[in-house]
Amino acid sequence: MSVNNSFQKIITSLQSFWIDQGCVLLQPYDLEVGAGTFHPATVLRVLGPDPIWKAAYVQPCRRPTDGRYGENPNRLQHYYQFQVIIQPSPEDIQNLYLESLKFIGLNPNDHDIRFVEDDWESPTLGAAGLGWEIWCDGMEISQFTYFQQVGGIEVKPVASEITYGLERLAMFIQKIENVYDLDWDGIDKKKGGKTYGDIFLQQEKEFSKYNFEKSQTSSLFKQFNDAETECKNLLNDKKNFLALPAYHQCIKASHLFNLLDARGVISVSERQSYILRVRNMARSSCLAWMGKLNE
Amino acid sequence: MNNMEKSRGNLLLEFFSEEIPARMQLNSEIQLQNLFVKSLTKRDIAFESFKTFSSPRHLSIIIKSIELEQKDQEIEKRGPRFDANQKAIDGYLKSNQLKIDETIIKETNNGKFYFHSQKIKGQKTYEILPDIINEIVNGFVWPKSQRWANTDLKWARPLRNIVLLLNNDVVKGEVEIGKNVFLKFTNSTFAHRYLDKKIVINKIENYEQLLEENFVILDRNKRLEKIINDATYLLDKEKLKLVNDKSLLEEVVGLVEYPNVLIGSISKEFMKLPREVLSTAMRVHQKYFSITDKENNLESKFLFVANSIKEKDRDFRVIEGNERVLKARLSDASYFFENDISNTFENWNKKLKHVLFYESLGSLHDKIIRMANISQIFAKGFGVKSELAKQAAILSKADLVSEMVMEFPELQGIMGGYYAKIKNEHEEVTKAIFEHYKPKGVSDDLPETKLGSLLSMIDKIDTLVGFFSIGKKPTGSKDPFALRRNSLSIVQIFINFKFNLSLNELLEPSLKEYSCSSQSIKQNLIDFMIDKLKYVFSNTSNRMDVVNSVLNTKIINDIPIKIILSRTNSIIKFTKNNDFKIFLANYKRINNILKSEKFSNDAVLQVNTKVFDTIEEQNIYNLSNTFSKEIIKKGVCEKSQDILITYLIKMNASISLFFDNVIVNHNDSKVRVNRLNLLKNFHNSISKFSKFELIEN
Repeated sequence: MSVNNSFQKIITSLQSFWIDQGCVLLQPYDLEVGAGTFHPATVLRVLGPDPIWKAAYVQPCRRPTDGRYGENPNRLQHYYQFQVIIQPSPEDIQNLYLESLKFIGLNPNDHDIRFVEDDWESPTLGAAGLGWEIWCDGMEISQFTYFQQVGGIEVKPVASEITYGLERLAMFIQKIENVYDLDWDGIDKKKGGKTYGDIFLQQEKEFSKYNFEKSQTSSLFKQFNDAETECKNLLNDKKNFLALPAYHQCIKASHLFNLLDARGVISVSERQSYILRVRNMARSSCLAWMGKLNE
Repeated sequence: MNNMEKSRGNLLLEFFSEEIPARMQLNSEIQLQNLFVKSLTKRDIAFESFKTFSSPRHLSIIIKSIELEQKDQEIEKRGPRFDANQKAIDGYLKSNQLKIDETIIKETNNGKFYFHSQKIKGQKTYEILPDIINEIVNGFVWPKSQRWANTDLKWARPLRNIVLLLNNDVVKGEVEIGKNVFLKFTNSTFAHRYLDKKIVINKIENYEQLLEENFVILDRNKRLEKIINDATYLLDKEKLKLVNDKSLLEEVVGLVEYPNVLIGSISKEFMKLPREVLSTAMRVHQKYFSITDKENNLESKFLFVANSIKEKDRDFRVIEGNERVLKARLSDASYFFENDISNTFENWNKKLKHVLFYESLGSLHDKIIRMANISQIFAKGFGVKSELAKQAAILSKADLVSEMVMEFPELQGIMGGYYAKIKNEHEEVTKAIFEHYKPKGVSDDLPETKLGSLLSMIDKIDTLVGFFSIGKKPTGSKDPFALRRNSLSIVQIFINFKFNLSLNELLEPSLKEYSCSSQSIKQNLIDFMIDKLKYVFSNTSNRMDVVNSVLNTKIINDIPIKIILSRTNSIIKFTKNNDFKIFLANYKRINNILKSEKFSNDAVLQVNTKVFDTIEEQNIYNLSNTFSKEIIKKGVCEKSQDILITYLIKMNASISLFFDNVIVNHNDSKVRVNRLNLLKNFHNSISKFSKFELIEN
């Protein structure tokens, strides 16, 4: 297998492509998040203060309910997204995206690329946008969104977000049917090369068990409440509030909610109220970030 | 060139944007033409015809033979007062270059004034066009739209380029899409994504052709035809056929600018999955068409439409990629299927206790218990075994928490049916569960089995009554729980199976389940159902007057619905009968007499037979009593409706004699009241059959 299409090479190629487009290259946010969007570099930065903001970063994402104990070739409770956020949305953003595919060895002209309607909404972030899922020969390899709203606040100017599903993309490029067979480093197995499974299979097994069976729900409920209280405390004082630490607590609460959801202990009727509580944290943090908490 | 030709020309307007959602494209064509025509008409610019186009990225209109100049307009202008001093009048004439005989004097509310008419020269069309295009852009309404970058304008997806040609020349101008952000009109558009090329349109008449050469088929119908023709060509060779799926076809037409029909294979290992699972997994996520052989057996092949130019190597790669995606999708589906099979209905039903049906309407488990209870009351009338009805109700919602239905909600019921079959449930039960969500719309098939119909009906009644009981009935255009469609389905099933139940009997058990004793809620429900009955009738009958006459009888709540049907049909049959026409006239005469009197209620009124002094009164009295008894006896028999009408016709002679020989408006008020009461009772008794006054002659 050639070195060029290894998982890590795809990441470094995407990084250098978007650096060339003027993006600041960031590192993952150091908390469990459900999607790259949660990174403050997206949620808060698109609300200001600078009307120009370009960033790119890898973000590990956790979706506890998607765990399959390592037994499903396509589903993971922990996976990677490559996130690009550019504000204001450039006129040639679609072409830039297609160029980036070429850059990682996927020539759009050799395939059937489709932009299929997929409007994005995050109830917990109070965020919404219009866009597409991008299909390559029927496989969804990226999400493309024009951010209209975050924390219930209008995004002005509008930002464009591109999210590459790195495992999907790599599987497509490497023509692999099982995610655990992905070539991670482009090094021959005999010479110590590693596959995705070598690195993450055990993690998937253990975390699936943890998410679905072993987590202490009473403790999770308590942690959720603590995060919410902390978030409120940080925003309580309308003059000396701390927006970033408050949002940090919001992210925590969001993941705790996902863990509780995976345990099936949140009933349908309670569900809505938990989502609303996270959304309120997100909204207050966003307003605080914009200095509009008093309004 | 003659003058006519010089004064007219052709126009092309194209909005080029990023990919517009498929579902919005057709409507955007219609909207474009409406807005444009409106703008031109308003400005008095005539044209001959137009044609619109839409593809994912191109939305355009060609207007043929549009006037190059607006028609001149004449307006009336007011001058000075008639009694103004001469200096003012002279000034007015001079400044408008008028002679006195070119003015007229008119009386207004404020007195007499000089007036003259002024011709306003029509503007050149190209001068007005920028205004028109701005008007169209700002007037456009998308089902969902967005801003982008620094724009204020909302479009379905970013609008990137506007072509505006009049007689092949670019019209000078622009559209303001944000504060200081403009899109200038151009004469160039873009080819298929593969070519990544700007193309200049030199001649409007070549526009469609030019784009097709650049692999954009602008005309939706042409894309549709190409898909159908190519598919037929590929499938005929192998004696296969496409599973008809019109809405998927229309969606796919909106996803491609240049359709390339391809066929891929499904791994044999997945062919053991239920057919519905295969086709749903293919359709919902991948927009693939299913293929069958001539005997309608599902083939291990799928058809899809790529947005590409045919090229052997690429097509091969694209097919291979799609096959791989489908394999992943289907292995997911297999995983769900295997897990579900190893699960149990008991387990699922336990889970249903934690799934809310709706706030304050309990869990889904509560719902199946209610349904099971109601099923016991209706089972006999439906001719099904009550223990089977109960079992079907109890198992009906389990699949909602199965993994497969969580992934593909549209498989609800269908999976339940399959799983029940695998668990060796009674065949009637499995079929009932399978089809109990039918009919899904007015044009959908009804359940085929009796048990399926019963299950479908009680499910829907439970939902309908539940939401009404908490005040969530549909209002105006809002019907978030689809209760209108729901009740329509109940009526359709009812009519199809001719069940012998009245609206009261239909709703009472469910109201009891919800412990709802409110008379007004019940009446609301009945009115709602009657409305749906009317709707169904209106699709099959052109005698809505007769339908209304039966549906408006006071006791409609208690008349079995199949009787309502047969009565309506009987009356319609008799409307051509001469004797019936005479009866109708007689009845209406009675109705008119009573209309002017005020009766406090519809209770049986006191009639004193001792006050009678004519045989005609006694006759009417007897007829009235007899008919009251007959309608109780025969009214509920489907086949007796004709007989009852015959009874009514036979009254003609007695009624005529009554009117010939009896004066209702008697001087003696005692006699008068007695006679009015007699007629009112008579009228009431007949009205239990039908409110004949609503029937048109």
